[in-house]
Amino acid sequence: MSSRKTLSYLAYALFGLMISLGGIIFGCQPKHKEVISVPDSSSELELTAFPTASPNDIDLADLPYKKLSAYGFFQGALKDLMPSEQVLPYAPASSLFTDYAHKSRYLWMPADSTARVIAHSGVGDIDFPEGSILIKNFYYPEDFRVTDGPRRVLETRLMVKQAGKWEAYPYVWNGAQTDADYKVTGAEIPVSWVDEAGESQLIQYIVPNKNQCKSCHNRNEELVPIGVQIKHLNYDISHKGRKVNQLVRWEEHGFLKGEGIPSDITALVDYRDDANHVDLRAKAYLDINCGHCHQAAGPASTSGLFLTYEETDPMKLGVYKTPVAAGFGAGTLKFDVVPGKPEESILLHRMSTNEVGAAMPEIGRVTVHKEGVDLVRKWIQQLPDVR
Amino acid sequence: MKFKPFLATLSLIVLFAACSQDNHERIFDSSKLPVVSQEAVDQLIADFVLAEDGDIITIPEGFFPLKTQLILDNRRDISIRGAGMEKTVLSFRDLRAGGEGVKLVGDNVRIEHLTIEDAPGDGVKAQHCDGIAFENINVTWTNGDKSKNGTYAIYPVQCKNVLIDGCVASHSRDAGIYVGQSEGIIVRNNLAFGNVAGIEIENSDDAEVYDNVARNNTGGILVFNLPGLPKADGKRTKIFRNNILENNHKNFALEEGQSNGNPVSMIPPGSGIILMAAKEIDVYENEIHGNRTMGIAISSYQITGFPAEAPNWSPYSENIRIWNNDYERPMAIPDLTKEFGQLISMYNAHGKGKSQDIIYDGFFDRSRATEIIQNPMKICIDEPQIAKLYFTLFDLEKGTSDIQAFKDITPFTCPQGISGL
Repeated sequence: MSSRKTLSYLAYALFGLMISLGGIIFGCQPKHKEVISVPDSSSELELTAFPTASPNDIDLADLPYKKLSAYGFFQGALKDLMPSEQVLPYAPASSLFTDYAHKSRYLWMPADSTARVIAHSGVGDIDFPEGSILIKNFYYPEDFRVTDGPRRVLETRLMVKQAGKWEAYPYVWNGAQTDADYKVTGAEIPVSWVDEAGESQLIQYIVPNKNQCKSCHNRNEELVPIGVQIKHLNYDISHKGRKVNQLVRWEEHGFLKGEGIPSDITALVDYRDDANHVDLRAKAYLDINCGHCHQAAGPASTSGLFLTYEETDPMKLGVYKTPVAAGFGAGTLKFDVVPGKPEESILLHRMSTNEVGAAMPEIGRVTVHKEGVDLVRKWIQQLPDVR
Repeated sequence: MKFKPFLATLSLIVLFAACSQDNHERIFDSSKLPVVSQEAVDQLIADFVLAEDGDIITIPEGFFPLKTQLILDNRRDISIRGAGMEKTVLSFRDLRAGGEGVKLVGDNVRIEHLTIEDAPGDGVKAQHCDGIAFENINVTWTNGDKSKNGTYAIYPVQCKNVLIDGCVASHSRDAGIYVGQSEGIIVRNNLAFGNVAGIEIENSDDAEVYDNVARNNTGGILVFNLPGLPKADGKRTKIFRNNILENNHKNFALEEGQSNGNPVSMIPPGSGIILMAAKEIDVYENEIHGNRTMGIAISSYQITGFPAEAPNWSPYSENIRIWNNDYERPMAIPDLTKEFGQLISMYNAHGKGKSQDIIYDGFFDRSRATEIIQNPMKICIDEPQIAKLYFTLFDLEKGTSDIQAFKDITPFTCPQGISGL
């Protein structure tokens, strides 16, 4: 460990100490909460100020609520993120890397409303009814090797369909883990965990400011969700011990109108599943991590580099494509992708650096995703040289 | 096209040339400004996030240290107004994620009277705007190592109706003022210095670049069309009444001795105006003084040596009209650090080590003519000083082993006058 790194670790530790001391001195105990005893439980159950909140009582005109608890998405202790009855968990087949944060995603819709698949959108866009809310929690288990161990929830991001458009409402969790506050200006939070290999990790996690949402959630300058397309959702999940297609599950739940799942949409694979061909895995990884921005309707259309699962034009995928801008983003490399030569490919270079201004994606990570880099390296390695 | 063979013979001179120093000039010292409170910083972030159509975001005097980006999200009729270029400073030195410092999206948006410093990516980027004005803003970097500076200082891209007026852009490691993939552009009364490229118009239509000063950049004013972009090609740029002075700064797009796939990193120090794959360009009434490699370069994309094919795009410069400019060659040898500079230094038609006023790389579309002297790409040069100008036409088709150079400018002097094109 370099001395500079040691220093920064010390700084983080001091910072953490100051926060704890501040908490003691200033009595930063969560307010507006009551502690009640549950007869058949040995532990105390903490409830917040909205013990009876239900998503059915959400009034869109009052949004965003100041506290996450006010929505009533979860039952029991808020930090356990146990969904209320009408709140449905979901997950895309491949998911975006965010500094190794774990994520849980839920969907809620007003009673008696359903979503519909938009025909012929190519990727399987879903038209959600007014008042639909997507809920995404970001958390870190203390020890990644322990399932159901203690964890720390950092953020909950909501996307709400209001007046026909999506709005984004970010919530940052308090230190006591009792609730999360609506916060538009972003934050930096020191986070530590023990990874799968047993190594201790420490980062300055960055909560984006509200308008940074559209750095990714952006199609033709409209705020849009990313993961809720047929191409991301169309795979089998396990529900109550049976295997069921996730979209069928949505239909059963009443969230999707039963018109059958469109068969003309290629579904992404799970990039972590090495039973799939490296080409599909890497394309799935690039799609969910880069393709929301690097596509014709995304902010990175300026680059001409398009990294969606559907893209097949080698030049648009970066093969022997020169970069538009000069400077250290490209390092000393000439092309975005050189088939067979990952070490000469700008794409891999920008995934492998943490330097702000060169690192890709531009937001959402301060660490390198080693497994993602390895996968994309393998992909470039086996690409046929078209030249 | 590669000019590697030169490199070995030139190492000594390259060492000498590398001694040219960096420019770190600042128009004022922002460190003397009082740092505002964290509350004031948070207020500013919130003002951007919560902006509604028609708002004026007023930013008071002071030095604002920002750790997050300022983003305007698709609003109309917005003014972002500082207390003055030397009074309101937004510093992104501590930004830890994100490309640009300030990002503006919306219609009829104006940013004025402030300074933006030290963004890791671009200083201020505007995308998908119809009506975007940058007025009296200063965008710069204050780092010691200039190759760590950000990419573009002032960066409208994919916009319509762009105005950049009265601004200062300095020390970008790409272009100070860069307009990309846009339409309807006015760039006037600006000062660009200490950048790799002073002002660059790329893959854009209908740009007027006038009454600017571009000094001490690596290249003063560039018009490029690059392949493979959503806006495939650009047309019609007028460059007039600019002072394009002593653009002899070393090229710091990359660290010493490195190269990569970007044409800007190949620009030789001492370049006044470079047209590359440019279409329908007028260059007139400019003062082009003291640029030690060349005043104006008319070039095609082939000069980069990169693949020169893309849909709806042509690698050639064509329909270029150059008239009534004023040229002054410096008493200095042309650049030897870049291959393009070495080509001019070693192979120009007026003798080794002589600065050139106008060079033409001589690549042309063979479906239009058999000889370059038929002027198939319609280059028209009508200069008062024509008899005294150092003009070189190259023939690079045979590769580095047989580079030809010609002095004769007459095939490109348009007998019908410049209106003949």
